[in-house]
Formats: sequence, C-alpha cells, structure tokens
Amino acid sequence: MTHVLTAGLLAALALPSLALTAAAETKVGLLLPASGNYAALGQDIEDGFRMALTEAGRDDIAVIEADTEADPQTGLTMARKLIMQDRADVLVGVVSSAVLGAVRDTVHQAGVPLIVANAGNSDATGKDCSPFITRVSFSNDQLNRPMGEWMAAQGIETVYTLAPDYAAGQQMIGAFSAAFEAGGGKVLGGAFTPFGKTEDFGPYLAKAAASGAQALYVFYGGADAISFVKQYDSFGLSETMPLYSVGFLTAPLYLREQGEAATGVIGALHYLPSLDTPENEAFVTAYQVDHPGKLPSEYVVAGYDAGRLLLGALETGAEGREALATALPKVAYSGPRGPLEIDPATNNIVQNVYVFETVPGGEAGMTHKLLETIPAVRDAPNGCVMG
Amino acid sequence: MTAFWTLQALNTLQYAALLFLIAAGLSVSFGLMGFVNLAHGALYMLGAFIGISIAAHAGFWAALIAAPLAVGAIGGALYAGLLARVARQGPMPQVLVSFGLVFIAVELARIVWGDVPLGLDPPALLAGRVQVLGTVYPAYRLFVIALGAGLALALWLAVTRTGLGAGLRASVENPAMARAIGIDTERLFLWVFALGAGLAGLGGVVAAPIASATPGMAVSVLIPALIVTVIGGMGSIPGAALGALIVAGIEVFGAALWPRAGAVLIYAALAAALIWRPQGLLATGQGR
Amino acid sequence: MFRLDPMRIALMVLMLVGLEAAAIFGGFFGREIVTEIAILAILAISLDLAAGFGGMVSLGHGAIMGLGAYGYALAAQAGLPPWPAAALGVAAAGLGGGLIGAVAARMQGIFFIMATLAFGQMIWALSFTAGWLGGDNGLGGIDRPSLPFLGLTDPLSFASYAVGLLLLVFLLAAAILRSPFGRAYQAVHENPSRAAALGVAPLRIRAIGFAASSALAGVAGVLAAQHMQFISPAMMVWTASGEVLVVLILGGIGTLTGPIMGAAVFVGLKYWAAGWTDHWHLVIGILLIAVVMAGGRGLAGQAEDWWRRAWA
Repeated sequence: MTHVLTAGLLAALALPSLALTAAAETKVGLLLPASGNYAALGQDIEDGFRMALTEAGRDDIAVIEADTEADPQTGLTMARKLIMQDRADVLVGVVSSAVLGAVRDTVHQAGVPLIVANAGNSDATGKDCSPFITRVSFSNDQLNRPMGEWMAAQGIETVYTLAPDYAAGQQMIGAFSAAFEAGGGKVLGGAFTPFGKTEDFGPYLAKAAASGAQALYVFYGGADAISFVKQYDSFGLSETMPLYSVGFLTAPLYLREQGEAATGVIGALHYLPSLDTPENEAFVTAYQVDHPGKLPSEYVVAGYDAGRLLLGALETGAEGREALATALPKVAYSGPRGPLEIDPATNNIVQNVYVFETVPGGEAGMTHKLLETIPAVRDAPNGCVMG
Repeated sequence: MTAFWTLQALNTLQYAALLFLIAAGLSVSFGLMGFVNLAHGALYMLGAFIGISIAAHAGFWAALIAAPLAVGAIGGALYAGLLARVARQGPMPQVLVSFGLVFIAVELARIVWGDVPLGLDPPALLAGRVQVLGTVYPAYRLFVIALGAGLALALWLAVTRTGLGAGLRASVENPAMARAIGIDTERLFLWVFALGAGLAGLGGVVAAPIASATPGMAVSVLIPALIVTVIGGMGSIPGAALGALIVAGIEVFGAALWPRAGAVLIYAALAAALIWRPQGLLATGQGR
Repeated sequence: MFRLDPMRIALMVLMLVGLEAAAIFGGFFGREIVTEIAILAILAISLDLAAGFGGMVSLGHGAIMGLGAYGYALAAQAGLPPWPAAALGVAAAGLGGGLIGAVAARMQGIFFIMATLAFGQMIWALSFTAGWLGGDNGLGGIDRPSLPFLGLTDPLSFASYAVGLLLLVFLLAAAILRSPFGRAYQAVHENPSRAAALGVAPLRIRAIGFAASSALAGVAGVLAAQHMQFISPAMMVWTASGEVLVVLILGGIGTLTGPIMGAAVFVGLKYWAAGWTDHWHLVIGILLIAVVMAGGRGLAGQAEDWWRRAWA
C-alpha cells in the first residue's frame, strides 16, 4: 500500500513540473480556494487574472494553480509547495485574511513577491507589512473609513452596527466606528453575530430596531449577504432604519439573488460594474464575451488588476523574484476601477472608493447608482516599516 | 420594550419550527435504528436546492410539495440501497458512510447549483408583514411557525393514534418483540427513514426564503439538529419539539441578552444538560 | 485486548520505512506530505487509544490537539526554549483533555460524543474570537526546536523527526495498552461488569485513559505548530475532529497500525485528487463508502486478512 502510495505521490509531483519546463519564463503560483466557502471568489479572481494574461497575449507566463480551501494550514502548505517545489517567481491570490496571515512569514522570508487579490486585513499593509507583499484589492480600513466619514458628513447622527464575529468583521466595524465618531456621529451600539453559524438575523434585527439608532451599518458577505438583505427587508426595517454597508453586501455576485430587497441599500466599494468610464466599458464588454449575461464582480477586477500589475512589472524588464518584488509596487495605470497606484509606504493600493445606492434597473434587475466618488483613498502607514 | 420581547419570542418559535422539521427525522431514525445519520443535513441542503430549482419553474407552492417528496424518495432509495445494509454493521461504518455521503452530496450540489449562494423569494401571499400581539412580523415567518406546529401535532397524533404509530412505538421500545408480534420492521424503517428525509427536505425549502442555500448548510445544520436530538431524547416527537424550543430559545435570547457569548452558549447548555442528565432530558428507546 | 504480534510489527516497520523513503525521494512537497501524514497519524493513534480501546469516541480531539499547539506557541512566545515549551503544550492538552474526560467519563455512546463535541466547540469558539490569540487570523512566527546533529529547518530532517515521533507515539500507545493500567482500561470497555467485579473503578480509569489519549493528541498539536510555524483555530473546529475520526475508521479502529494507514491514504488521496479535480471531496466520499461496502473493517483489517492468508 505504502509503496503504491509513494509511487503515486512521486508521479503526481513529477507530472506538473514536466509540463511546465516548456518555454515558460515566469512562473506564477495562483493561491486561490477552489473548494470550500470561498470557491466562487477564487473562480472570479482566476477569471480576471487569466483575462489580463490573454489580453496581453503573452505565452511566456506559466500559471500553476493551488487550492487553499480557505483553510490557513492548507494555504500555507500550498504556498510552500509553490515556492519550494514549483519555484514560482511570484504568487497571486489569497482570498481569506487567515490564509494571508498564515503565508505572510513564509513569503517574506523566502523573498517571493505576493500580489494579494482579495484578503483585506489592514495589518498586512500595516504593522505586518512586507516589501514582498503588494495588495491590489483593498484594505478593511480603506473601505470603512471613508464610509464613516461620508455618513457623518451626510448628517447621520446615530448608527447601530452588525458584523460577523471574526477578525475581519471586528476590523471593519472598528475602522468605520472610529471614522464615524471622529466626524461627529455616535455609534449607539452593535452586535457581532457568530461567524459562519448565523443564518437567522431576526434576533439581531430586533435589537437593532430597538436601539433607536437612525441608521444601520453592517458588513456581511457570501450567503450571509443574501440572507441579511432579505431578512432586513422582510422585517420592514427599510422604512424606519436605512441600511448602510461595506459595499460587499450588495455586490454584483449577490445582487441577482437579493433582487428588490436590496433597493435603497447604500454602500462603499472600490469597483462597480456600472462605472461610466471607457476603461470599464471595454472591460465589461470583454468579460461578457466569456460570461454572457454576467457582470464582473470586484473579485474579477482584483484578479485582472493583479494580472495587469504583474504584466506591468514584466514590461520593465524585471525577471525573477527579487526584481519583480521591486518592480511591482511601481506600476500605476488607469483600469476598470479608475486610476490606481501602489503606496510605497505600505504597498497597499491607492484607489477611488465609490459610494453608491442600490437601485432597480440594468441587465441584472438591480444596479448601483454612483452617489459620490472619494478619490485616491490612501491608508495611513499604521506602523508599517518596510524592511 | 414588550414589543421587543414579543418579537424575540416569535423569532424563537420560528427558529424552533425549522429546527423541529430538521431534527424530527434525525431523532426518530436514531431512536428506531440506533443510526446517527450524519448525512441528514445533506438531505436538508438538497431540499433547499431542489426547492429553488422547482420554484423557478413552477412557483413556491409547487416546490413546497414536490421538493420534500423528491428528497423523501432520495432518502428512501439511499436507505434501501445502502444504509439498511450499513445500519446492521454497527456505528463506525455508519459514520464512514454518512460522512462519505455528505462529501458526495456537497460536491454534487456544487457541480449542479454552483458556488454562489442561491435565494428564494417567499410567495406573494406571504411576502408582507402582519400585525400580531402588538408588533409587526413577517407573514412568511408566521407561516413557518404554523407549519412547524401543525406538523408536530400531526406527527404526534400519527404516532399515538394510528396502527403505524403503534408499530413504530413498539419498534423503538423493543425491536425484537416488535418483530416477534409480526411487525415488518424493515419496511417500517424504510418508510420512517423516507418520511424523516422528506421532513428534512421540507425544512430545506422552508428555510430557503429566510437563509439562502449553500452547499455548506449540509454541515452547518448538523450540530443544532444533533443538539436538539440529544437534549430532547431520541425517537420521540414531543422530545424533538421540546428540544427545538429549548435550543431556539437559547440561541435567540442569548443573541438578545448576551451577544458576545452567542457562539459558546449553545455548547455550554449542551454540556450542562449532559452533565445533569447523561441520558438526555426525555430519553426513550434504545438511546445508545 | 491489544496484541503487538509479529504481523503488526512488520506492518508498522513497512509503513514507517515507506514514509521515510517517500520523504527521502519525494522532493520538497513529498517531505511536506510525509510530515502531514505523520501529524495526522499521531492524532489518529491518540483517538484510537480513546475510541478504539476505550469506547470513547471523541469529536473534540481536534480542539484538544489545538490546546497542545497553542500551549506550545504561547510558551515559546513567552520566551521558553522549544523543548520545555513542547512539554508544556503536551501537558496543556493532557490536562484540558483530562478535564473533559473526567466530566464525560460517565456518559456512554452518543452522549459521550456530544459532550466532547460541546467542549471542543467551546474551545474553538473562544479561540476564534480571542483577539489576544490572533482570533481566526491565527498566530505566526513559531520556532522549531533543534536536535543534536539535525537542524530542523531542512524539510527532510523535519520529516524524519516527524516520522520518528510517530514511531515514539506508536510505541508509547502500545506500552500503555500492555501495562496493567491498559489491561484494566480495555477490560472496562470490553466487559464492564467483569471489570467492576474485579474491583476496577471504571470512571477513573476511563478519565485517565482519555487524559493519556489527549496528551498524545497534544504531541500532534506541538508537532503541527512546529511544522507550520503558524497555528489557527481552523485545526480545532469539529469538522477537523470528524476528519480524524474518518481517518481512524478508514484505517481500522482498535489496531494502532490502522491510523497510520488511514492517514497515509487520506492525505495521499487528497493531494492526488486535488491535483486533477476541484471536487476531490467526491473522490474521498466514494472511497469511504467503498471501504465500508468491502467489509467495513478498515484498511488495516483488510491488510491483516491478506497477510494471514499469505502466510497461512
């Protein structure tokens, strides 16, 4: 048994490396969940990344996929495999912040550049920042802080907050509350709902309604996003307590399922498929060639921009891990989500944040109406020392 | 403030109704066959997804009828083809097979329905809100309460007042004796298992307009259902109903009064219940 | 009663040699996989000690392993050298698991399972939301110990260290089962009334047995923390415990050799199937059902049958 297994292992390991040696110059390790809760996000990021490569028409980039399952241990095992076994020049991906936390030291010590295409833990470009980690998605601070300021500026005085009880949820609500209160607002209360377990938000919605706050501010994604919006609507809270959110709540991925229940939800996000720019129009058209009837999500865009960043670095003639790590943060351009650059102080993206209202209309039945563009949002270094 | 507590009481009833639908089949097949069917959550998930697919073509009410029938048929086929054989092999093979079924069901659901969660709209008739007991409550949730209570009553009457129920009770109390007096326990098991699967499927369809459908619900629903079964005692319909009410009460009022402990509270309650009554609160049957 | 007959010894040696060979010739990733197999096998052996020989099926062993991992990481963070920190991790798991065992010892069957599930999930939920433990983002920067003549930074020596620990844990478990305590422990499970007649205190014996099993789970936890140099609550959630139970039953419960076989097949199959399909769970699910349909005694039971037939 064991011998068969050993032989099987050896064969399984040998095959991909044989296939790769042909002509490839730059090896990209795609560190994305292909199974588990975040599989849909992983698929979108990969679609976007491959779109960028196809657009550029380069055949000297080899892509090696590794399934992180949204599990930090597996994510780290796969990162080590990509770095040590496959000798990847650059890693792209990482959906969950827990996986990012797991791979951070390994990537940093091995000196392999990692382009983060989702995970928003602010610390990754704050106190735990690394010259080898560049983020093209967003940071939790970056989306929640402007929303706190904006809501305070709209004259909203009191809010109640809800988010899942895990590190990202706490960070999002923390960043929002600090900015909202600095702007003169007051957070009357809030609750963190058990992560991955709360399907019925009824008890929490009742608490929110009883708090007497003027507005409700939440962060939910995935299945929670759909359930929350529908339950909020079914309790009739939309008439008394308007819903504000980190924009993931009514993101393109979930909007079709939420339907009219999402009407009036206001959010802030770094990309909207309805953005009226020539770059975005071309991007949406290109995306719909392979995905008819579907709008690109912010995850597709993050994957696409990760690809564009890598291509930009390669165009400067950079080759190998060290040179790519230096070149990546210097790439700047205008893409589907508007102008973007990498902040040299943190290696986090500097980008517009779009405040929008979810309204009926468009091909998917619901769409995002832009209320305000907050240009070039940049995080404070938050203890980041580039070493 | 009374409106707030009324609202939470209604939330408790609504959640309990849902838990009852899921746990009833688990509890009865457990009490009857000593079989911990860990794949029960997968039947609940299939109910939600099949219901959504049917509703897309024929509307909610058709889904409410057809999806439980489909899941009941799947459950019956699984029992006849696979589980009856495994049920005789003892608990360890049962664990392997039911875990295997969960793995397979989750992946099949991913292949057929995709990774993006799906939602289901309540029927137009129940889309609004109703004035009850001085508060406003979603009509659909009231419907869930009524459905759960109605089914609990019907099941209880079926068990206590019909011949089938008498055979069932006899088989739970003493399977050997039941066989000796001429009850075809194999056929009884098949029907009970299919019925339990159908109830789980019904739970899935009913839950879909409240909580959206994901492959992960096959696993996430299992723990509350098991807790209901263990607290309520195996093989008893009133026990499952009481267990569902207790678990729902803890979850809802825990969320209202002590939100940070929300994730731990139910396990602490389970541990306390087991320490206090190591055989379950309302133990009947084999209870192994 | 557990017997360490020549067949089991031969099977054990064969598997360990196979694992070590896979580490030597398997390249970097082969070594990572061997280490992962060794960790899972140690955890499954510890669960076998509780479930297979004591009738205490636990759905909390992932959490108990986590106590060992977090104990090691926190002790190392506090400045303790790796070996004392490792001892502390094992002690934390043994103590924590022992407490769970003491409370649950008088429960049987499903009630025991649910009690371990309840305590395991409490540990998981607390660590998941504890900011000072890094919450669900976990803890990084964990050191590996160093052995004389053997730096453990190199993947091959670390894999060999893991295989060595696996052997050690196997021998330890076998020694426990063959000791007078182990005989009484198995007697309590196999024939409670006779054990009671002999004057054995069943509750205390069960609790101590569960504590011993937990301490071995702690070894797996410490090793996992040293291997990944990162830990997170993901290893403690009940599905992780369920996976170990599956590995144990797949390999053969009540054999001590089965866990190693189960772990090797489970991990090997996972990476092999994940190499060509995103739906590798489907492959594992079919395998689990096939094993039961084939006879249900687990891989080790099958192997022992073949062995007996070949030599009879």
